[in-house]
Amino acid sequence: MSATEQSTAPAATSGRRRRGSQLTAAPWLLLAPFLLFFVLTFVLPILVAVGQSFTRVTRSGVFGEQGVTSEFAWFANYAQALENGNFIDSIIRMLLFGVVQVTVMIALSTVLALLLESASARWPGFFRAVYFLPYGIPGVIATILWSFLYVPGLSPVIDAAEVVGIELDFLGAGTVLWSIANIVTWTYAGYNMMIIVAQLKAIPTEVYEAAKVDGAGPLRVAASIQLPLIRPALVLTTVFSIIGTLQLFAEPQVLSTVAPDVDSEYTPNLSAYTTAFAYNDYNVAAAQAVLIALVAFALSFLFLRLTNRRS
Amino acid sequence: MSAATVTDSVASGGRNRRPGQSAGRSILVTAILLLVALYFLVPVYWVVVAATKTTEDLFATNGFWFGQTFALFANVREVVAYDGGIFLRWFANSVLYSGVGALLATYFAAAGGYALSRYQFRGRNLVFGTILGGVLVPGTATALPMFLLFSELGLANTYWSVLIPSVVSPFGLFLCRIYADASVSPSLLEAARLDGASELRIFHTVGLRILTPALVTVFLFQLVGIWNNYFLPLVMLADQDLYPITLGLNNWRSQTDRLPEFYELTTGGVLLSVIPLAIAMIVLQRFWRGGLTEGAVK
Amino acid sequence: MRVTRRDLLRLGGAGAAGALLSACAGPGATPVNTRPTIPPADGPITLTYWSWLKDLQKVCDVWNAQNPHIRVEASWIPGGNDGGYQKMYSALAAGGGPDIGQVEMRTVPEFVLVDGLVDLRRYGVDQYADRFNETLWQQVSFVGGVYGIPQDSGPLALYYRPDLFQAAGAEVPATWEEWNETARRMRATDVYLECLDLSDTSWFAALAQQAGARWLRVEGEEWVIHMTDDATLQVARHFDRAIDEDLITTAYGQFSTPWYAAASAGQIASAAQASWGDALLQSVTSGAGQWRVAPLPTWGSGGYASTFLGGSTAAVLANSKHPQEAMEFAIWMTTSQEGIDAMIANSGIGWSPSRDYIGQSRLGGADFFGGQSYNTEVFEPAAQPEAQNPDWSWWPITQQSFNILSDGFRQKVSGGTLVDAIATAENAIVKAFTNKGLSIRKAEA
Repeated sequence: MSATEQSTAPAATSGRRRRGSQLTAAPWLLLAPFLLFFVLTFVLPILVAVGQSFTRVTRSGVFGEQGVTSEFAWFANYAQALENGNFIDSIIRMLLFGVVQVTVMIALSTVLALLLESASARWPGFFRAVYFLPYGIPGVIATILWSFLYVPGLSPVIDAAEVVGIELDFLGAGTVLWSIANIVTWTYAGYNMMIIVAQLKAIPTEVYEAAKVDGAGPLRVAASIQLPLIRPALVLTTVFSIIGTLQLFAEPQVLSTVAPDVDSEYTPNLSAYTTAFAYNDYNVAAAQAVLIALVAFALSFLFLRLTNRRS
Repeated sequence: MSAATVTDSVASGGRNRRPGQSAGRSILVTAILLLVALYFLVPVYWVVVAATKTTEDLFATNGFWFGQTFALFANVREVVAYDGGIFLRWFANSVLYSGVGALLATYFAAAGGYALSRYQFRGRNLVFGTILGGVLVPGTATALPMFLLFSELGLANTYWSVLIPSVVSPFGLFLCRIYADASVSPSLLEAARLDGASELRIFHTVGLRILTPALVTVFLFQLVGIWNNYFLPLVMLADQDLYPITLGLNNWRSQTDRLPEFYELTTGGVLLSVIPLAIAMIVLQRFWRGGLTEGAVK
Repeated sequence: MRVTRRDLLRLGGAGAAGALLSACAGPGATPVNTRPTIPPADGPITLTYWSWLKDLQKVCDVWNAQNPHIRVEASWIPGGNDGGYQKMYSALAAGGGPDIGQVEMRTVPEFVLVDGLVDLRRYGVDQYADRFNETLWQQVSFVGGVYGIPQDSGPLALYYRPDLFQAAGAEVPATWEEWNETARRMRATDVYLECLDLSDTSWFAALAQQAGARWLRVEGEEWVIHMTDDATLQVARHFDRAIDEDLITTAYGQFSTPWYAAASAGQIASAAQASWGDALLQSVTSGAGQWRVAPLPTWGSGGYASTFLGGSTAAVLANSKHPQEAMEFAIWMTTSQEGIDAMIANSGIGWSPSRDYIGQSRLGGADFFGGQSYNTEVFEPAAQPEAQNPDWSWWPITQQSFNILSDGFRQKVSGGTLVDAIATAENAIVKAFTNKGLSIRKAEA
C-alpha cells in the first residue's frame, strides 16, 4: 500500500476513524506473540504448579495396583515439603551462600570495573575480554572444568599446595559450598562487571572534570562520585544474583559425583528435581517449586525495599 | 613495592598530572588486573593442557604441563567421530536453540516493549506488572510444571520443548520498554502516522531501527542465556539427538566413573566447546553495552 | 478485565487435572497389566532398547542378523539415577518411551509403582524361569508378577594387592572380624585397606544383605519394614568402629576419581567389590599384575558367603507395542551363549544371571590378575544360590530410602553413628511410604 495516496483530503476523516481503531488494536497485535508464549511458558505452568501442589495421590495395594486416586489436599504437600529437613536446610544453605557469594562477587565486579575504567589501567580492552570470557561458558561445563581442579589426584592446584606443605580439600563437608561459590563467582563476576562498566561509561566527563578541579583523588572520586552513580547497576546485578542463587542447580549436581557431601537435595532446586524425577512425586515437587518462587520474590522485594529506603 | 606505592599515590591525592606517580599506580593497577586475569584463565589453560593428554597421562602427570604423549589431535578426532559425530550434532542443536530462540525472543520483546511504551490502553499496567513478575520467577521453578504441560500437549522431548520457552524474555521486554520510553519520540511516530503508515509498519520501520542498540543487548543476553541453559533441556529432552552441548558433555562426563576413556572425550569436548564461545565473547563484549544501562539508570 | 478467584481456581484445577492424567500412574488410566495382552506382530517390527551399556547395538546386531523381522535398536542413556531413569519416567509420562529399558534390580519396584512395567508372566515368562539364577529371579518377582529379565548382577569378592599385604605383614581376611586386624596392619604402613563412601549406601546395604538382613517384605496387603535387625546392626557397628579407629577412609568412594588416584599411588590395598569391578580396576594406572581376588570376608553365623551389588534387568516398559517380542529378545540376550558372550565382549556386562553359563571369556586366567582364574575360582561360587541371601527383596522407594539413609550416615563425620542413623532412617522411610499413599508397618521386634 502507498502512504501518500491515503493522505488525500477526502479519505482523511474515514482514515482518522480507522486510525482510532488501529490505535486500540495495534498494541495488542504487537504484544500478541509475546503474550501468547508468556502465557504458555509462565502463566500456565505456574497455574499447573499451583494446582498440582494442592493435589495428592493415594494408592491401594502394595504397588497401587488396586487403584490410584487423587484428591484435593489443601496444604498437605506444602506441609510435607516444609517438614523435609533437607529442603529447609537447602534454603538456609542458599541464603548463607547468597549473603557471602553475592556480596563477594558484586564487590569484586565493582572493583574490577573501577580499576578498568581508571586512567591507570593498561590494556583495559584485553582485561575486559578475559574477565568476561567465563560468562560464555555454561555452568555445567564450568563446573566440569573446575571439578578437575578440585579433585585430589587430578588437581595440579592441590599438588602444588602440597609441595608448600598446605593440604587443600576443596570437596570436604565444610569447603564444598565455597568451592561452588568460586565457580559461580568465576562465571558471573565478569558479566556483572560489564554491566557496571557500561554504567560507568554513562557518567558524563564534566563530572570528572569538576572533581579534578576540586582536587579529589581516585579513591575519593570512586567513593563519592562513581559508586553513587552506578547504584542502579549494582541493584540490578544484585537482584539477578539473588534470583540466580536460588536457581543453583547444575554446579552442585555435577559436583555431587565427586563430592560426597553434596547430596541430592543440596539446593532447593536440586531437591525439587529429585522429588519429581527420582521419587516420582510431582505434587510435592510442585509445592517446592512454588515455595522457591515465593522465596525469590520475597528476597527480591526485600532487597529493593531496603535499597529504595536508603536513597 | 606495593606499600610504598599505595601510600604514595594516596598522599599525592591522585593527581594524574605527575607522571612518576601515575606510572607507579599504573603498574600496580595493571599488576592487580593481571593477577585477576590469571584466575579467570587458569581453568581454561588447564583444559587446553588436559585435552592433549591420554587418560593415563591425565592422572600420572602434572596438570599444568603437557604429558609424555601429545594426543590432542587423536582426542579431537575421537570427540568428533564418537557415536557417528554426535558431538557435532549437539553443537548444531545448541546453535539452533540459541540462534533461533534469541532472534525470535528479541523480536517479540521489542514488539511488546514498544507497544507498552508507546501506546496508552486499558490493561497496560496489569500486563506490564505481570510480565515484570515473570522477570523475578526463577526459570527453574517453571520448568517442572512446564514439562507436565508439554507432556500433555505432546511437545515434551521435541525441539519445540526447548525452543518455545526460549523465545520468551520478560527481562528483554523490560529493557526494550524502558529504552523505547527514553529514545522513541512521540513526534517521530506522529510524523509517520501523518504519512499514513500503519501502526505495524511504523514499528517495523521506525521503532525497530531506533531500538537497535537495545535489541543487540537483548539478543546477546538471550543467546548466551539459552546456550548456557541446562535445567530446561535436562527436564524436557530424553532423546540424545536433541541434546544441546551442555547436556551432551555432561552425559560423557557422567560416564567417566564406569568408563575412564570418557575423560579424553570430556576434556576434548570441553575444549572444542569453549573455543568458539571464547572467541564469541571476546568479539561480542564491545556490543554489550547499549540498552542495558540506559534502561537501568532511568 | 476481571478474573474472579473462582475462574482462576477452575483454570488451575483443569491444568492440574490434565497434567495428572498424562502421568502414567495417574488416576483414571487403566493400569497396563489389566489391559488385554498384545498378540505377537504379523509383520516385521523394530524394538528400541534404552540402556547405558556401551556398544549394546553390536549385541543387538547379532540378534538382528538372525531375526530380521524383529529388529532391535539400542539407544544410549545416562546411567540410572544420573538421568537415565528421569528420561524413562518422563517418556512414560508423555505416553512414549522404548520397548525395553535397562532398570536396575533395586529400581524395578519403583517402576512398578508408577505402572511403568509389563508383567511378563502374562506373556509366558515362567517357561524360562529355570534358566536364571534363583536369587535374581526372586528379586524381579513381586506380588505374583515378574517385572524384568535379569541381565547382569555383581556377586561380591575381595580385590586386593598381595604386595601391599605382604609389606604390612597381613593375611587376606576370611571374616570381617579378621578384616579389622588386617586394616590395622595396613594403617601401620600408612595404607588404607578399604574406603567407605558415606553417601553411597548401596554398598552398606549389600553387606547387610550378606549378613542376613531383610529390610522390607510384603505381608498380605502391606509392607513390613525391619531395618534394625541384628544382622544390619552388626554391620553398622562394625563400620562405626572401623571409622572411629581410622581403619577405613571415608574421603572417597570406590572407583571414584580420587580413589583411582589413591590406588595408582598404592595407598589403598583392597576393595570389597562386585565382579564387574574387574574392568574398572584395569583403569588403575600401572595396576596390571598387581591385583588378585579372594572370597569376601564373612560375618559369621547367620550370614552368607557373598552378596549381590548392583545388577540390572531388561524390563519391558508399559508403552511397548510389542511386549512379547521384547521379552523374547531379552531372554535370548541374557541366557543364550552367543548373547552372553556378545554382552561380555562388547558391553563389558556384569555377571551373567544365567544358571549354567558364565561366558567363554570368563573361563580362563586373566593377565591383569597375574593369570588367576578368578571368575571360576571366586565369583562363580559366590553367585550360587546357597552363597546368597534368598529372602532379600527391593521396594518401591529404594532410591529415596538410600538417600534418607545416607543423610543419616553423613552425620558420622559430625559425631553421629551408623547405628543411630539406621534407626532414624527406618522411621523416615515409614513416613515416606505413607506419603506415597502406601501402607506399611514396622515388624515386631
